[in-house]
Amino acid sequence: MRETPLLSTLRELGANIGEFAGWLTAMDYGNPLDEHMAARTSVAVFDVSHMGRYVIRGENLFEFFQRLLAKDLKKFREGRMSGPALMLNERGGIKDDVMLYYISDDEWMAVVNAPNIESDREWMLRWAREWGYRISVEDVTLKTALIAVQGPEAPKVLRGLGIEGFEDLKILEFIRTPKVLDGKAILVSRSGWTGEEVRTHGFEIMADASLASKIFRKCVELGAKPAGLIARDSLRLEMGYVLIGEDISEDTNPIEARYWMGLSLKKDDFIGRDAVLRAYREGVRRFRYGLRLKKGERRIPRHGTKVLVDGVEVGEVTSGAYSPYLRRSIGMAYIKPEYAYVGFKASVEIRGRVLEAKILDFPLI
Amino acid sequence: MSEDSLVVKTKLGEYVIPKNLRYTKTDEWVRIEGNTVTFGITDYAQKKLKYVVNVELPDVGSQAKKGEALVTLESVKSVADAYSPVDGEVIEVNEELYDSPDLINKDPYGRGWLVKIRAESVNPEDFLSPEDYANLIKSKES
Repeated sequence: MRETPLLSTLRELGANIGEFAGWLTAMDYGNPLDEHMAARTSVAVFDVSHMGRYVIRGENLFEFFQRLLAKDLKKFREGRMSGPALMLNERGGIKDDVMLYYISDDEWMAVVNAPNIESDREWMLRWAREWGYRISVEDVTLKTALIAVQGPEAPKVLRGLGIEGFEDLKILEFIRTPKVLDGKAILVSRSGWTGEEVRTHGFEIMADASLASKIFRKCVELGAKPAGLIARDSLRLEMGYVLIGEDISEDTNPIEARYWMGLSLKKDDFIGRDAVLRAYREGVRRFRYGLRLKKGERRIPRHGTKVLVDGVEVGEVTSGAYSPYLRRSIGMAYIKPEYAYVGFKASVEIRGRVLEAKILDFPLI
Repeated sequence: MSEDSLVVKTKLGEYVIPKNLRYTKTDEWVRIEGNTVTFGITDYAQKKLKYVVNVELPDVGSQAKKGEALVTLESVKSVADAYSPVDGEVIEVNEELYDSPDLINKDPYGRGWLVKIRAESVNPEDFLSPEDYANLIKSKES
């Protein structure tokens, strides 16, 4: 079992510790619904150090990743993040969605999902060898930490940390080696995974582990509510962001997942392209949509819960949560295309009870 | 608190076990007063379950059977049942939980109680002592 480098700090701040993807980290700090609301209405701080971090060096990084990933990187520039970029297998299935950071022409960083820290690196190196690119992928996950400051009052916290120039950051831009407190962080970006694009300001700070502990504590002192992975999960679900392993996997293609922002069908060549184009041309058997239960409903649809139309099974839930913002349960489900009646009140069956669930597109808020 | 309770510390957390209660292997606590048995879930159980958002309680007057699921607890992470510790009749349920299910997290041994049962018969020796329950948790998390 791995431990987030901030574990002792989180524990001192009252975290309930649990396991996620082989990591011990904060699940909540007593009330994940309050933590969720802090990210929507004030500011919350999350330790997301369980996500993998690589420093990637080499020549022709642009050309290499353009072939490896399904997203078109042609607008990718120094000081920018790529946005979620799909890494597919040859069958068009989703291996991971990764975030790249363009530091310089021959140095990028990547943030990858916790379950794939080893396998993504192997995949990158395998294709670099196969195609003859001289590229190194250094896993710096355990040496560094990643903190997400999310919510409309996040700028106040960043000012309190003494970070200069963050006000000018647009979404998915970052500042390299900013001064934070009495040290230098690796980078500060305008990003997150909570819906910062539409609702809030979100920033992420990557730093060495010891500085990150101080930063996390200071964020709390400055009024950010410490928040755990349970709140992060309900926040991302409101937005319709997918969780690898739950909502997408190597057996999911990006067309049925409707993962448009990580994919460019116009791009000439990338791994999995033929399979994705085939799915696109021939059509798919299911599509990913949101579900919203009736106001006040606290029974939560969960992975495997059936979606029904007129008593007939038409789909299956992959994630569910209680949304304190909407004061009801919500979910994400794959539904047969011929029954994807957006706006229609379908139902879900939870422990033998049939409950109304409206089929909706994302975001749900 | 520490005088009246045991505290088990593991790598994953700290769990309070009051000395004046008895326990089941399925993580319920039991308070026995004559033939009235009040039960709830332990601090360990609520911490594993996480923040509770929904509770389904039995009807007053219904029959409870020892070892059968009597209460369904739904948390932000999962769903779990609490099992009746005895045979008997449900004489009271904690209706406060309908509005505030998180009392189970905030005060598992107090305001987070679940159900009162008039037991047909009850023997404290049928349950785990606080010390035995503490050892059970340690063995689960070692």
